[in-house]
Amino acid sequence: MDNVKKKLSFLFIAFILFSIYAATAHGALSDQAKVCLTCHSGRGMTKTLENKEILLLFIDKEGFAKSVHKNIDCNDCHTGYMAAHVSKKRVIKSKREYTINASRVCSTCHPDDQLKKIPMHSPLMAQAACVECHGSHYIQKMAEWKKGINETQYCLTCHKHALSMHLKSGELLALAINESSYKSSIHGNLLCSACHTDFSKTKHPVRTFANKREYTVLATKLCSTCHTNEQLRKSPVHASLMAAATCVQCHGSHAIKGMKIQKIGMDESQYCLTCHRGKLSMTMRNGESLSLYIDEATLRSSAHATLKCTACHAIFSKTQHPVRVFNSTREYTLVNTELCKKCHQNASTQYESSIHYALFKSGNTKAPNCAGCHGNAHSVAQVKTDKTFGLTSCNKCHGELNNSYEASVHNIARIQGKANAPVCSSCHNAHNIESTKMTTKIKEGCFKCHKDMGKVHSKWLKNPPIKTATFAGAHFDVVSCAACHSPQATRRIYLSLFDTKTGKPLMEEDIIKLLDTTDAANLMKKIDTNGDEIIEGKELWGLFSMLWNKGVRTTFTGKMDVSSSAEAHQLGSKKEATRDCDKCHHPKSPYFENVFIVISKADGGTTVLPAEKGVLSSVYSIIPARKFYAIGGTNITLFDILFYVALIGGIAVPIGHLSLRIILSPIKSLRKMRKGGKK
Amino acid sequence: MKRIYLHPLPIRIWHWVNAGGFIILILTGANIRNILNLFSVETAVEIHSWLGFVLLANYFIWLFYYLLTGNIKIYIPPLHHPIEFAKKALRQAKFYGFGLMVGEQNPHHSTFYNKFNPMQQTAYLMIMTVLIPVQIITGLFLWDPKLFSSVVNLVGIQVFDTIHVLLWIFFSSFIIVHFYLATLGHTTFAHFKAMFTGYEEEHEEHEEHGHSPSH
Repeated sequence: MDNVKKKLSFLFIAFILFSIYAATAHGALSDQAKVCLTCHSGRGMTKTLENKEILLLFIDKEGFAKSVHKNIDCNDCHTGYMAAHVSKKRVIKSKREYTINASRVCSTCHPDDQLKKIPMHSPLMAQAACVECHGSHYIQKMAEWKKGINETQYCLTCHKHALSMHLKSGELLALAINESSYKSSIHGNLLCSACHTDFSKTKHPVRTFANKREYTVLATKLCSTCHTNEQLRKSPVHASLMAAATCVQCHGSHAIKGMKIQKIGMDESQYCLTCHRGKLSMTMRNGESLSLYIDEATLRSSAHATLKCTACHAIFSKTQHPVRVFNSTREYTLVNTELCKKCHQNASTQYESSIHYALFKSGNTKAPNCAGCHGNAHSVAQVKTDKTFGLTSCNKCHGELNNSYEASVHNIARIQGKANAPVCSSCHNAHNIESTKMTTKIKEGCFKCHKDMGKVHSKWLKNPPIKTATFAGAHFDVVSCAACHSPQATRRIYLSLFDTKTGKPLMEEDIIKLLDTTDAANLMKKIDTNGDEIIEGKELWGLFSMLWNKGVRTTFTGKMDVSSSAEAHQLGSKKEATRDCDKCHHPKSPYFENVFIVISKADGGTTVLPAEKGVLSSVYSIIPARKFYAIGGTNITLFDILFYVALIGGIAVPIGHLSLRIILSPIKSLRKMRKGGKK
Repeated sequence: MKRIYLHPLPIRIWHWVNAGGFIILILTGANIRNILNLFSVETAVEIHSWLGFVLLANYFIWLFYYLLTGNIKIYIPPLHHPIEFAKKALRQAKFYGFGLMVGEQNPHHSTFYNKFNPMQQTAYLMIMTVLIPVQIITGLFLWDPKLFSSVVNLVGIQVFDTIHVLLWIFFSSFIIVHFYLATLGHTTFAHFKAMFTGYEEEHEEHEEHGHSPSH
């Protein structure tokens, strides 16, 4: 029954359609087309696709009648559609899917091998469906179509689609043109061939390029057809940029707008990136090249993401772009390091008191500046969120210490996930890093985590009868934490030369000037008078008195520390720490055997001179090293001798006096007798 | 035999505490410097520090006693008669150097208000008002340099150590001589006895005068 109903319905529809067709018949079209157009000539005919796109099903009858396909039955292309109209609803996912499927039918009459004979067709066929370029129901003969179409439209017929081209380098060159952007661009009224001179409606050479750069350079050359070099070089920035970048790198190509309009609609950073997102570079006077390229994505994820370019680069703006020339990348770095100060004043001030800055200032090219540790300002990470930064950035230069750190209790705690486990910067500070040879401040780094160490050490490090918190502190002033807490370490005594007036290290360079010598080698000759490369007590005094005579008051500040940086990081557990007083406070303690004189240098480094084993026991060191005292360790040997002399003297006086009394006793007896006689 | 009251009880206590303390401080000082090896350095330092404070307190017994009684003047040389004082001192030196050996009479006769001969007066004034206070103060600085850092850092701890050690050397020698001089009474132990009882014995005729080492 259902089949009979369906057949009757079909006959009824066919009858109705035929009646309409008879009334509106157009002689040029096939009968079947006329039937289809009965409905499809209706302007409101659409279909909603699965992805909600609206597919227009309207066919302009007249347009179709003029097309090359006017005599073809609809069914020839839309195979099976007539039956589908009745039997089932056709499911179409998207316009694109429909387009691709519809285009497949074209090959029925236009086989691929025929189409591929046209050179441009072949690559296009892989990227665009036939109907995307040629259309569908209104296709004209190519020769006629070309005559009637504007050149730009002709080009866009294909280039408005997502065409691209594989280059030899493997790069993919996009060939798609956004029609509306192009038309609203400053070049919107130009024909394509005005720039792409090799192309026209009749010419489309097939080209290959090594890479995008080659293509860009070639494309840019065409700009000078209208924009002459003389004209462009009037702007100094342009002139310098032209040597480094192509026109399209900054200005783009098909969407170019007038600069004034472009500036108005663009935020400052975007304006800067217009050029700097290109691979720009700058050549220094010494020939070095500095990349000025900014990776926009990296910048956006950096700690500076929300800053405008001008927040740091204050002398630049949308209207100002001074041309700067630097002697070297180092000079450029020096200038740029100053930029960080604007926001990071505290860190900069601290950095300027550091050994790193001293090295940097002295011209050491390996010395870190802001970027040296934090990386490029345009890709700088958020330090607060990166807990390992204080380790990884230091390891760039101090990697050799990492092994000893890794073996330490600190790293073990870090691996165990303890939140406060220290990295390098936790102890050494991030910015105001001092030479560990010249300071005991490193302990402050320890105390950040190990709080109340005065009290903790006072439990056993005490001097009766009154318990004072300062007694342990007296030890902290001259003994590094590692000296006790690095169990396997060899201890050394460092006597560092300080200017008492300023409280700062007296620099080797200043001593050279003060003592009228020419260089470090001559200074050493002046200090080490016997030339044995070991400083004796007398030589220590010699240096002190020479400086005294020049009006400079100095002192050699003593410090007990481990012998190497590696040892300083091999910190053991609390149980392993040294806490036996006699180990230090004994004249024969090995901890006082290795003594070194340390003189700071302006570059942050130090000159370390080995001193005689007994330099601390020499009477000559009393005044120069007057601020360093340790029971046992700094005993002056001469005083022990004096003690024996005094003892001998003390005993000799009674013996001598008693002897005289005995010798003279007869006189005494005689006198007594006389007195007795008188009596 | 005449008995003269020379040494009041507070002074006797002070003296013997001082004497014992001095000896132990000298010995532990030698131990700290590794000249002697009686104890570990740690123990020697502990004893030395304890006794240092004991003698600090003891010094104030002496000071308060003499200041409160006003008898501190026995330490003050008669500076208004310098020539006479110098002559007396010279006479006293001659007595120790020669007169004593040939049976001469001690030119100085000790009384409660004139206890010291000119040589003793000068020496003990120096010791009690300069040397012992300096030794106590430098000892305190060495005991906890950080506690007194404002003063210690001005001069340098090693300088204070030097002063302390030099005075230790002086006192080591002094105490031997002091002991010997204490035997020069009218009998060998007369002065020792006096420092326990407070009374110095003296012949009625004053035929022979001994030396009074205490102060």
